[in-house]
Amino acid sequence: MKPDRELTLSEAIREAYVEEMRRDERVFLIGTSIQAPTFPHTKGLADEFGEGRVLDTPISEPGMTGCAMGAALEGLRPVVDYMYAGFAYCAGSEVFLQAGQYHFLHGSQHPLPMVMVGTCGVGRRVANEHATLPYGALIHHPGLKVCMPSTPYDAKGLMKAAIRDDNPVFFLWHTSMMMQKGPVPNEDYIVPLGVADIKRSGSDLTILASGLQVGNALKVADKLAREVSIEVIDPRSFEPFDRDTLMRSLEKTHRLVIVDEDFERGGFAAEVMAQVMEHGYDLLDAPVKRVCHPHFPVPGGYIDSYTMPTPERIEAAAREALGA
Amino acid sequence: MAFNDKQRVELFRTLVRAMALDRMMMRLIRAGRLVGFYHEGGIALAPGVAAGFFLAKDDIMCPHYRAHGVAHMLSKGVDVKPYIAEHLGRTGGCCKGRSSFHASFPAHHIFGSSGNIGANFPVSVGYGFAAKQKSLGQIVMNCSGDGSYGSGRAHEALLMCANWKLPVIFWCEANGMAQHSSMDKLFPTPNISSLAAGYGIPSQIVDGQDLYACADAAQLAIAHVREGNGPIFVECKTLRAQEHSVGGVNYAGKTPRDPDLMRRWKDERNPETLAAAALVRQGLLAQKDVDDMRGAAESETDEIERYCERQPKALPPIEELLAAVYAQEPGAMAS
Repeated sequence: MKPDRELTLSEAIREAYVEEMRRDERVFLIGTSIQAPTFPHTKGLADEFGEGRVLDTPISEPGMTGCAMGAALEGLRPVVDYMYAGFAYCAGSEVFLQAGQYHFLHGSQHPLPMVMVGTCGVGRRVANEHATLPYGALIHHPGLKVCMPSTPYDAKGLMKAAIRDDNPVFFLWHTSMMMQKGPVPNEDYIVPLGVADIKRSGSDLTILASGLQVGNALKVADKLAREVSIEVIDPRSFEPFDRDTLMRSLEKTHRLVIVDEDFERGGFAAEVMAQVMEHGYDLLDAPVKRVCHPHFPVPGGYIDSYTMPTPERIEAAAREALGA
Repeated sequence: MAFNDKQRVELFRTLVRAMALDRMMMRLIRAGRLVGFYHEGGIALAPGVAAGFFLAKDDIMCPHYRAHGVAHMLSKGVDVKPYIAEHLGRTGGCCKGRSSFHASFPAHHIFGSSGNIGANFPVSVGYGFAAKQKSLGQIVMNCSGDGSYGSGRAHEALLMCANWKLPVIFWCEANGMAQHSSMDKLFPTPNISSLAAGYGIPSQIVDGQDLYACADAAQLAIAHVREGNGPIFVECKTLRAQEHSVGGVNYAGKTPRDPDLMRRWKDERNPETLAAAALVRQGLLAQKDVDDMRGAAESETDEIERYCERQPKALPPIEELLAAVYAQEPGAMAS
């Protein structure tokens, strides 16, 4: 890695698009107003690749998702951009019941290489569709791969892996992290789907956190560093989930806090807790704690500043898990 | 009319086969031998036969679910045995017995289906986009009934195909019914094809009981889209002379549909007997030829039944199914 170059997270995604579209002419982007986008990650791409590979659609989420599916079945490699991931619910059947399940249901004859992209995240005061994080719902449905980066490096590498994958991948990115900067090497690389990253090593407590919450978890780890040694793991992919890395961490720490900005009920944190119970019960010295969005709709206005996971809530959970 | 006498006879033979297979499926479901449901084609199969007949192997087709698309696939040249086997839940099913009713023939560019009415529309946009992007001259035959135009996905597909001038045929086999409701009650206009005008898409209405009128329309539509003129809409007015799904009610709203009328349709508007009479009248076939074709079609169904019954039921171990969720990535991740 060359630390002398920094990109924002959206620039990192954009660079992944550019490199993959140059590398493979089957790759194209499709979405609503992506030629002159609301978010910067597709800005100017139509100038290099033309309107035929950076397609502006009507506001038609089922249409654009099904279009991506059909194009993938005919041999192209589409990237469909919903702007906000909450908008993908409009294409519920395509996203949840068809894309991921097509290959299996049709006798393993139809790989569906497509990427679905959307931002998500609580904390911008715009509520519900412009905030909701759909990964709990997405991983509930077999056949989809689901990832979310917490750094520009991971964003570029995960996006390139997603585009090269022969399965439908839902790439989520956090709306509040678009302009966050970080080092990104010039060389071609991927971040494989299903490989977690230890963002900080520790020995007393493991915090599993994704996206924006990785930063919050690291803040807590820093703040408590004199009292306790906290390991912060970013799964990077929710599905496939790198359970091995988590288990190896629990062999050291024996205590786990899961930070999950999605709804609490039946979500990713609940799934990880279940897997830890099934595969690592003996490793635990304390009940697993989770810090999630409370089980009410993502509100707008000023309310969301204290409903999403915050360093304060994470610290409180960490202290409980440590028995302090 | 641009098709020759040989093609006229072949169209007829395909219709005879399709209707025999439809009767076979009815026998099988009544005997409890299909794993899932079946939607009888009855006298509504001429449009399906016409839809597939003039397509090239690499043209893309979404078959209509009426008679489960067997007419469409037969006429596109697909060996439908694995599709029938799928309905019997057998190992040789085209989806390995995992779907019960999905059609999957990638070599023929028939890329599966969904249980949602209207799901064909968005994927057809994608097929059309890919066809245009690849510039290999492929076109898309997107078949459905009139009821599916109640889905917003139909609007989105009409809009996107028109806007991008995609080579997609909106082939509508309009039987005037949507499940147990009459289209009169569900749509404000008498012809579903009137939707096309709003998108600047040309349209045509044909008699769906007339095999050769359907074939004419299919040929014209295929030429239109292949020449790069963008989408076209063909409405084949056909008849549903039975319930929506085998074993269901045959009502239009709260009213039972008239059995006498449906009997009359079967007597007077059967596309197979209408086409047979025309061919005999024109001297293209003798009555004996027609009878021979019907006999051969019945023998074909016997053979297909035996083919399916010879195969074991698909009951793969859970491990095999778990391993089948994701596509393997042959070297895709190498770099």
